[in-house]
Formats: sequence, structure tokens, C-alpha cells
Amino acid sequence: MSRQAYHWTGRIARAFSLWAPILCIPTVALLVAFRQVYLSNYRDLSTWKGGGMGMFAGADGSLNRYTKIFIADSHGKRQPLTQLPSEPTKLINRALNYPVRKNFLLAAKTIATLDWVAARQRMPVALIDANRQTTGTAPESYYMMVPFGRRPREETWKWDIQIEYWRLSYNPVTKHAHAVLAETFVFGPEELRP
Amino acid sequence: MSAVDRERLFWLTGMKLLVLSRGQALLDFVKELELVQMVSLLSLFLAVIFTFEHWLFEATARVCLLLFLLRPNSIRSPVFWLALSLSATFVIIHDWQAADNHKYLLLYWLWILFFCHLFGEPEQKRRTLIFNARFFLCFIFLAAAAQKLASPTYRSGEMFEYFLYVDSRFTAFGKLIGIDPTIPDAVQKSIGFFRSPFSQVIDNDLVLPGSDRARIAALVLTWWDLSLQLLIGSLLFLRRPRTDKFAHILLLFFVFTTYLPAPVFGFGWILAIMGFTLAKENFPRIAAVYMSCFVVILLYQVPWREWVLAM
Repeated sequence: MSRQAYHWTGRIARAFSLWAPILCIPTVALLVAFRQVYLSNYRDLSTWKGGGMGMFAGADGSLNRYTKIFIADSHGKRQPLTQLPSEPTKLINRALNYPVRKNFLLAAKTIATLDWVAARQRMPVALIDANRQTTGTAPESYYMMVPFGRRPREETWKWDIQIEYWRLSYNPVTKHAHAVLAETFVFGPEELRP
Repeated sequence: MSAVDRERLFWLTGMKLLVLSRGQALLDFVKELELVQMVSLLSLFLAVIFTFEHWLFEATARVCLLLFLLRPNSIRSPVFWLALSLSATFVIIHDWQAADNHKYLLLYWLWILFFCHLFGEPEQKRRTLIFNARFFLCFIFLAAAAQKLASPTYRSGEMFEYFLYVDSRFTAFGKLIGIDPTIPDAVQKSIGFFRSPFSQVIDNDLVLPGSDRARIAALVLTWWDLSLQLLIGSLLFLRRPRTDKFAHILLLFFVFTTYLPAPVFGFGWILAIMGFTLAKENFPRIAAVYMSCFVVILLYQVPWREWVLAM
């Protein structure tokens, strides 16, 4: 190696050892932010999460997203699950930040560890008009399902769990709120077994 | 001048002297501080007080605090910061999608302190801190501004107006600015129709009982927040003493006003640490105000929302 090349290699090595520790964290931060923007645009990751520094940057957090959860038998008859305990609620809220199948599956698995019992009476579904008035009842009615402790391990889970993921938007000019069913995740009994 | 006036003047003069002498004392104290040492200490307290909610990080931070109390020199060791950085990295990787943005920022800052203490020369340590404080302040504010400008739900004022109705952190603030508390209650009840499986909203469309006052407040909040963030990020990016000074004043205004309604205290604290890092050498008076920020942010944790809502 010539003397000049040696000199330049030494300078580059010195500059690298000086600047690499200073610049590596900003580089990581930028890469994480780009990834967050990509996931936010294409996979519905909330702008509030994931390191993109987009807090208070959009109505796409847990207040604008919600789920309706149903248990369905082999004939497709479904009943809504209510009064979710804290653990599945936490997992559902977590999944709402990044609403992908894998995250809802975690919540569904936790739901499937519980014993669910139906209330004695069927409950009608009220029809609500745009002005928040009840105008009648829908053709369907449900049994309200509530948790009743943990399910015995030896008892096999035989039902599907359907999780409807909804997005809510609000038009500040017309004062109309609008809900859209974004996706329904269906988990079969095989998937839900521990 | 009456006796009452004389007494009032006496007390006012006394108070003014007390504030000035305390202010001067704080200024002298800040001037004497060594930057790296002070920033390390503030960051350790940040990690302990506004911590990651995970047993691994909580345990590491507490052990580090104990170690510091027993052997103050340990805070200068890169191993000390490596332990905090590694445990924070584990927590973030474990739950990356649920971690708030300011937790990422805390993670980055802990790694910066590790690299800072890795260097032997004090000048290199100082440079690492100052460079990264400026980079992250620009990054946070410009990235946030870009995301806000790109978001239709932000630009339209939808987000803040909706929050004034349904977010418990904002409803108390809404009451303070004259939004009738029955309005958020009615909106929340209406939203309940969407969420309940026992109600079916025709065409999934409801008129919410919103108020014009909330609409105006939301628009003011929207554009105030965006312009302030854009201005702070851009001014710091220019790297001129005059623009820096103006950026610090705006950043202090941002910290003092934002973290009262928005209870993201860890974020406020870390912004103040970064601002302090940048201001310490060139603007000691501003650095002294940053010092008072830390106390103010702690005081903001009083349950004022409950007091307001109970009124």
C-alpha cells in the first residue's frame, strides 16, 4: 500500500470511529420511522404507535376503531360476546393499533380459554336512525353471552370466533359519524386450541 | 400612600426580590453544571419516573438508580447505560406495535447516552449529546408535522373535535373552554350505539350532537399545534444562534402548554432534556427555564381533570 493510500485509509477509519457512534441511532430512528409510515399506509398501523412520531396526527387510534365479537356454532348461528374480562380486552385494544390477523388471533385464543354462558332470554337488536332514535327492531336477535370463569382444560373448544373490526369517522362539517366494517376475522376451533 | 398600600408595596417588593434572587441562584447553578453529568442524571430520573411498563426495564432502572445512589460515579460508565438500553430495546421489540412514540424516543436517548459515555474525551461526549439532541428535536417535530399535514383527519379538525367529545383527557379541557359537559356525554352515548351488538344503526350513520364551540376550539388546536411544531423543527434545522433562541422559546412554550391537557409527561420531560442539552452552553437563562420545566411537568400530574369535571 502506498503511503498516500495508507494516509487516506487512516483518515477514513478515524472519521468512521468518530462519527459512526454518533450517527447510528439517528439512522435507526429514520429507518424505524419509514417502516412505520409504510405499515401505517398499507397495513393500518395506527400513526400513534410504531416510532413514526405521529402522535396526535390522525383519528386512527383506539377511539376510532372498535370490534364486535361473536361466537358461532357449526350452523353459522352467532351470538355476541359481552363483558369481556380485562385480559382479552387488553389484547383487543392492542390489536386495534395494528389490526392484523395474528394480533386478533391472540385475543381470540384468550377468549377461548373462558367458559361462556348465554342469558336465558333472547335480546332484540334495536334499529337506530340517523337522529339516534329507536325506530324498531332488526329481524335478528341474540342471546347475550357472558364469561363464567375459565373453561376446564379437558373440554374441547368447538366454536368459531368472529371478530368484526370497525372503523369510525366523523365529519366535523356535517356532524355525521360513520362506521365502516373494515374486516371480519374468523377463527376456527383448530386455530383456537392452545 | 395609605398604610395598606405601603404594606402591599412592601410585600410585592419582597416577593420580587425573592423571585429574582432565586432566579439568579438557579442561573448560577445551571452555569456551574457539567453538561454530560447533568443530562445523564436527568435521563436516569426520566427512565425511573416515566418508565417502560415492563418488569425487566423497571427492575433495571431501579437497580441503576440504587447503584447511582451508592456509587455516583457509576452514571459515567457505559455499562450502566448499556444495561438500560438493552432492557429498553427488549421491551420495545417485544411490544413494538403497542409502544407509544415517546417510548421509542426514550429508547433512542438511552442508546445515545451509552455511546456518549463510550467516548473517553469530554469534547466527544459533549458533541455526541448536542448533535443528537438537535437531530432528535428536528426529527420529532418535522416528522410529526409531516404526518399531520398528510393526514386528512388531522387537517379537517376531525381528530381534535372528536377527542374533545370522547377522550377523557380532553373532556376536562373542553369544559374549561366552555364546552357544555352534557355534549361529550351525549356524543359518547351515541357512539355506544355503533359499538353495541344489540343496536343496529341504519346505514351506519349518525348525527352527533356536536357544538360549534368545540368545532372552533378543534380548528384552533389543530393549526396552533401544527404551526408550532413545524416552526420549532425548522428553526432548529437552520442552526443559527438567533433561530435557535427563538426555537427554544417556542419549545418551552410548547412544553408548558401541551403537557397540561396532554398527559404524556415522559415526552415533555425528554423534550426538556434535549432542549436543555442544546441551550446549556449558549443560552444559560433559557437552560434555567428548562430546569424549571422538569418541576412543572411533575406538578402537571395532579388530578386536575377530575377536579374540573367534578366542579
